[in-house]
Parts: sequence; structure tokens; C-alpha cells
Amino acid sequence: MSKRISRRDFLKLAGAAAAGGAVLTGCGPASRYVIREPYIEMPEYNFNGQSTYYATTCRECPAGCGLVVRTYQGRAIKVEGNQKHPVNLGKTCARGQATLHGLYNPDRVTAPVKQGRGGVLSNETMTWEQAIQVVADALANTPPSAMAFLLGLAPDHLFDLVGDLTKALGAPAPLRFGALALFEARSTLIQAAAELFGQPALPFFDLANASLTFSFGANFLETWLSPVAYTRGFSRMRKQQVRGHWVQFEARMSQTAAKADEWIPLRPGSEGLVAAAIGKLAAEAKGQPAPAAFASVDVPAAAEASGVPEETLRRLAGLFAAAERPLVIPGSAALGQVNGLENAQAALALNALAGNVGQPGGVFLSPLPPVAEKNHALASLQEMADFIEKMKAGAIQVLFVHGVNPLFELPKSFGFEQALQKVPLVISFATFPDETALQADYIFPDHHGLESWGYQRIATGSTRAALSGAQPVVSPYYDTRATADVLLAACAAVGGKLAAALPFADEVAFIQDKLLPLVEVKEANFNAPEINTFSAYFQQFGGWWAQADGLISPTAPALGKALNVEAPQYQGEGEFVLLPFVSPVLGEAGANKPWLQEVPDPTTTVMWNSWVEIHPKVAHELGLENDDVVMIVSEAGAVEASVYLYPAIRPDTIAIPFGQGHSAYGRYAAGRGVNPLDLVAPVFNLSGDLAFAGMKVRLEKTGKKRELARLESKIGVYGEGLEEH
Amino acid sequence: MIKNLLRWLLSPLGRMSLLIAGLVFLSVAVWGVSLTQAAPAQPIQFPHNRHVGFGIQCLYCHPGAARGPVAGLPSQTKCWGCHQQMQITQTSALLKPLVNAVENNQPIQWVPVAIVPDFVHFNHRPHIAAGVNCEECHGDMSKVTIAENPQVMNMGWCLNCHQQKTVDDPVKRTKLLDCGTCHY
Repeated sequence: MSKRISRRDFLKLAGAAAAGGAVLTGCGPASRYVIREPYIEMPEYNFNGQSTYYATTCRECPAGCGLVVRTYQGRAIKVEGNQKHPVNLGKTCARGQATLHGLYNPDRVTAPVKQGRGGVLSNETMTWEQAIQVVADALANTPPSAMAFLLGLAPDHLFDLVGDLTKALGAPAPLRFGALALFEARSTLIQAAAELFGQPALPFFDLANASLTFSFGANFLETWLSPVAYTRGFSRMRKQQVRGHWVQFEARMSQTAAKADEWIPLRPGSEGLVAAAIGKLAAEAKGQPAPAAFASVDVPAAAEASGVPEETLRRLAGLFAAAERPLVIPGSAALGQVNGLENAQAALALNALAGNVGQPGGVFLSPLPPVAEKNHALASLQEMADFIEKMKAGAIQVLFVHGVNPLFELPKSFGFEQALQKVPLVISFATFPDETALQADYIFPDHHGLESWGYQRIATGSTRAALSGAQPVVSPYYDTRATADVLLAACAAVGGKLAAALPFADEVAFIQDKLLPLVEVKEANFNAPEINTFSAYFQQFGGWWAQADGLISPTAPALGKALNVEAPQYQGEGEFVLLPFVSPVLGEAGANKPWLQEVPDPTTTVMWNSWVEIHPKVAHELGLENDDVVMIVSEAGAVEASVYLYPAIRPDTIAIPFGQGHSAYGRYAAGRGVNPLDLVAPVFNLSGDLAFAGMKVRLEKTGKKRELARLESKIGVYGEGLEEH
Repeated sequence: MIKNLLRWLLSPLGRMSLLIAGLVFLSVAVWGVSLTQAAPAQPIQFPHNRHVGFGIQCLYCHPGAARGPVAGLPSQTKCWGCHQQMQITQTSALLKPLVNAVENNQPIQWVPVAIVPDFVHFNHRPHIAAGVNCEECHGDMSKVTIAENPQVMNMGWCLNCHQQKTVDDPVKRTKLLDCGTCHY
């Protein structure tokens, strides 16, 4: 202590400062006087002062995880996983946890409105009787071929209902689309499986039992197919007696690649070449002749085209040949290329070479879900583009949209916005005022997922055939109505064959009718003598699933046909290849949930904004530093984003996360960040999926600087940023 | 000029005005803090004394106390079960909010009185099971209208009782004085 200030003085000063601080910040706890609203009329099965738990299905993404939601006095309090559910076995991801932020979102559409395509949510509310009349008139007075239903990715009861409705009308079947399917290139994966295994089904990769895993772009710990199920598979793979080894091939180190043993940064689109080269070398290492599928590949040329050194390829091929249960997973950006289908085939063919098709630790086909005539196909991007052309030509007079936001989830270059102008009547059933809903003529809001009934087929992720059940955990907070109820009421109002095809009093009656065949199946998680008891169990267990594993073991392909793998081709001009990837936290529709916005991105720790990842060496050559705003220009468009110096990306590649860039969708999402799909041109692969990861772009400096909110220190691994500290 | 002001502040008059300014600031701050701590008004001037006087048990309206963490507030169907049979319900001005709430099917927005911070996991059930009566913590409800807290519900108060009740049981004492019993 110096002589000027004695110890006593110092303590006095410190005390005064502490007191002053407490006073100035206002020390009352915020939750001190929260108002408590007891039930008006308490349900019989509730008990005053005790929580009630409901099993339901997560609607945040199409994976269909089972949830158990704790409610108290009629309010949803906390989301947990359903421990019995075959997809997630009691776990959830961050998006599942944040589903409450959708339920309590202050920007929900609270009543049916005549939106009139305004830029902001209209306050011209209607009654539900008027709303149903609008739908009924649209159904009755439109030629069936000019009617279109655009639904989300989830294969749920609403999809079945609309399917029955369109069948009765003679209208085209509903289109299922979502940005997650775009970034997974799901149609490509299904087609590759169909061509190799003879059945069009989603493959199931038994990650849990694999001793060596090669993943070509599949970001299965983030958003890919069924992230919670694959995360569990990953954890079990690591906990085997001999820890499973895992190599991730992709141009940018994703959250998934960060957890791998090895990350091989190859050029985007060269995955097929690398897989074929490994196949050829592995066959040679085993002392076998290379099968015709891989024989034609030129290994040095593949090494050259992919940027992976030949000795690395040989080492990996040796690992692959020696591995007991090797597994190869193709996915995401590897498939979102002009040669995406070939890439998927080459990677899947490696499994056949390893002899793991239908074996533990190998490739299976997902069990067919119950209540399905066949696996309902989802629309590829080519089909969406064709549909948009139809809209532009004026062939669509009424468009119904539910569960998807095409103005945000489709690239701008598809021209959905212009096509929408050509449709005389657009009816949206959105829960939130998203971009597409605001451009609709009417918004007839559906309940939030936690307020609604339903079931959802489990497309993949579960080893058993499963149908996930959903029930309301709270009464609807607003004047919303289930879309299924609106459509059923409209059908009844139309009458005739439509009412005869859908003679159900409400949504629950329709669901029970669809569940009816399952009552007969005895090898399931529960048995019931008749449908009412069955429905009660269905709600209690959170769904129906078979007792035994139902993975389909396909026959291994012969690999007798040469695979046509080629060097990657890119679209447009520029010094960088653009790699858009789905934000592991936000997904395609999480931007309106503050919990998710506040979660730091797992690799960059950036929050609340978009960024562009550039290799530090290249950035410094260009004179760019962290937080410099650059314009990224492709032939399809341009966006501005702050630079994030990311050492774990190929120098010839830049990456932008997808999830931000909303112009609507509520106060937390709107006006934040950019949408990398604005840069993507409509170029397709052979399966009709978008070649989203094959765009060439160039960078333009703007001279602006916009600081990113990030959790980590700004001092990089090369010591950059030190001079500012 | 600033120098002059500083010199004046050191003079007796200046010191005096500094003191007054400080006191004014402090009192405004205290008033502000007290505002954040004061509970809003209850929607109904609920007479606990009247209800207890009729011989109604605490657990009749707050049954959760015997079964779990939260005692719970009665739903208004419970209030109405008795009140709809009483003449005074229709005539009393004090009961008007209840009648309105029932007629409009709106929940009554009560303001909780006995609360602990969020980082305390308080559970009523073990207290009732240990034979602690409601009034030992909440005071004699036959003496008050709106519930009042007879004491500040802070940790010292909790521990005091935990210590007194476990004087001759060292095992229980260890458990009841452990941090993790309430903070987990």
C-alpha cells in the first residue's frame, strides 16, 4: 500500500465503490416478482403444485426425435429427450432444447390474417370461419391441375392428409422440400443407394460398430439426416474395445471434422476420385485385382486433381485394406456437386469392396416406416426448379405453403420471388411471419409443434421401423388452428367427393384412422386391443415402434461396371470455390430463437451474425484482416460478410454458414447476416440435386469493417491480432 | 474555472453542498432499489384469516406442499366450488375480481409472497414429512389477510432451523448443513 492511501482508506473506498455499484446496477433479481397464473380449471390428471410430463415429437428438423416436455400449470418449462424413443434414446440437440423459444416467441402469427403480400405482418385479422371459407373456395373453384401444395421435409400426418386430399381432387401430389435436404443432397444419396443396392431407400450407416470410418463430407454430428442418432453412433464407435478410427474428407474443417482423427482437406468435388483411388489401392494392398468399378482411375491424376498427396492416398488405402470393419459415408458437400451422384456411388461402392454391406459396422438400408405405401419421395431441386417454371408460366393458380420457407430456403437464382407474383392466390399456414408467409395473400397460422397433434414417420436414424407420436403439451396460446383441421373443415364445406374422401371430424380422427392398421401388429413397444387404448398408449410412449431391428440388408453390388468419376467441375469465374454449409446451431429455421443465436458456432465461436471463412495466408496476401467486410461475388449474385481468418480451410476455398440472412421471420432473425444461397446458381447433378458447393466466387474489398461477436480470443494461431493487444 | 470550482468545493460551504448532493443521490438510489424490491399489488385482497377461521386446512388449497417442491395455487374452479354457493360472492366488492375472472374465463394473476432465489432448490415435501407445520415458516395465517412473510427467507434463517432441529443427530446434521442439499 502506498503512503498516500492508507489501508483503512482503501477499504473505505472499496466499500463505497461496491455499495455504489450495487445501487447503480439495481440489485433486485429479475425473477423476484414473476406473476403466477394458476389453472382456471385444472385437468383431472394434474396435481396442484406438481409438474406434468408429456411425450411428443420434436418438430425443429425432420429427424423426428422423441421429446418429453415438463409442463407446470399449463406451461411448457423444459424439453428433454424421450429415453425410450428409438431415434434419440433420451438425448436432444440444441435445436430441440430451443423449441420452447419458438413456442414463446413474441413474433408468432397470433390469428388468421388477410396478409395481402405486404412487407410486414398485416393486422387485418379474420375469423376462422372466414378463413375456412377462403380455403374451401380455393379448393372448389380451382382446376385441380392448377393447385399446388408445398410442404416441409417432415413425412408427417399432414403430408398424408394432403396426399389423400390431392388424390381425391386429382391434383398433383404435394411437394416436400427443405433447405436441409438441399444441403444433404438427400435425393442424390437415395438415388446412389438405389443404383447400387437396387432399392430407393435412405442408407443407414452403422457407425457404432465400425472400426474405421471414412466420411466424405457427411457432417453427421451437425445437421446431417439424423444428427442425434449419428452422434450416439459416433460416441459408441469411440467406446468400442478398440477405439474406432475416423477420417473426414472435406475442404473445410467442420465441427464434425474437428472431432475426427484425421482431416483430409481435398478439393470440393474430388471426393469420388479419392474414393475410387483408395478403392483401387486398397484392392491392390489386399493382393486382389481392382474391381472394374475402380480399375480405370489414374491414381497420380486423382492425387493431382484432389490435392491429396499420393502417399496419403496409399497410407489411407492401407488402413482401409487392413481394417476389420471399415465404413464409408458419403454426404453433404461431396454430393452437392455437378458430379455428386458419381461421388456418392464411388463412396458407397467402397463399402461393397470392403464387404460390409449388410454387416455390423457397415451399410444397411433404413427400415421402412409403418403407415406408408412406400417411402415418400421428396422433391429434388430440379423438381423445385421445374415447379417454379410452372408457376412463372401461370399454370399454378393456388399455392398452399406449410412448414417450409422457400423464399429463404431456395437460392434466389431460382426466381421463386418472381414466380410467386404469377400465382393469383397464395395461402400460407406459417406459425411465424417468415419471408414466404409475408408474401402470401392469407396467413392461416398453424399451432406451434408443442401445441399440436400428429405423427411422423422416421425416415432414418432408427434401427427399427418407427412412427413418432406428437401431442399438445400445452393448450394453444393464440388463436391458431391446426392446418389439418382447417383442410378437413374446408373439405367438408366443399362437400361431394372431397368430403367423402376425408370424412373425419378433426385431425385426431384422421390420425386414429391412419393408426388403425398398427393395432393388429403385436411385435411392437405396446399392444392394445382397440384404437382408443392404442391412441392413449401412442401418446404415452411418444410413438409406435417395432420390437425387433428392421434394418434391411441389401445385396452387395458386383462392382463390375466402371464408375465414371471425374475431376471436379466448377461453375462461374473467380479465385475461390464457395462452400456454403448449414450452421450446426441454427439449422434452416433456428434464427428466430435467441438461445440458438447466442450459442457460439462450434468451430469459430461467432454468434448472432454471418461470416466468411478465409485461410489466413490467402487473406494476408489480399490484405484482409479479421472483421474486414468483403463482397463475395458469383455469377448468381453478391453478398457482404465479415472475414473470419480460419486456418482449417483449403486456401482455394471460402465458406459461409447458412442460417442467417433473413429479411423477416421476427425480431431476432430479421436483418442479421447473409444467406450464402444468394450466391448459388441453378446447376444440378445427375440426381437433380443442387451443385451448391461448386460455385466459383471472387472477393471484393469494401473498405468497411464490422466486428463479429465471438467468444474466443482474436489472437489467432499464427499470432495475428497480437499487435492490437 | 474548473480550478476555481474545485477550490470552492474544498471550502466549508462546498463540502456542505457536496454532502447534501451525496445524500440526495443516495436517497434517490435507495428509493429506486426499494421500488425494484416492492411486490406489485395482489389482484384480490385475499383474507387468509377468514378462510382459516372457517376451519379450511392449508393443504386444501395448497396440496402440493405435501407431495412435492411447490405448494401450488388453487385453480379458480376450486375457489368457485365454495364461492358460487355463497350470497356474499355476488354482493361483495372485494370478491368482484374473482367473479370477473370466472365469468371471463381469465386466470387470476397472483403475486407470490414466499419465494426463494432461483439457485435454491426448495422442496416443501421433506419439511412437511419432518413434522414442520406450515405456520412455523409462513406465520399464523389466522392473523393476516394477504399472506405476509414473518421473516426474511435467507440462508441464515434456513440453516438456523436446520441446526436447531438436528442437535442430537449428527448424521442428519451433516446432510442438512451440506451445500448440495439446496444448491445443486
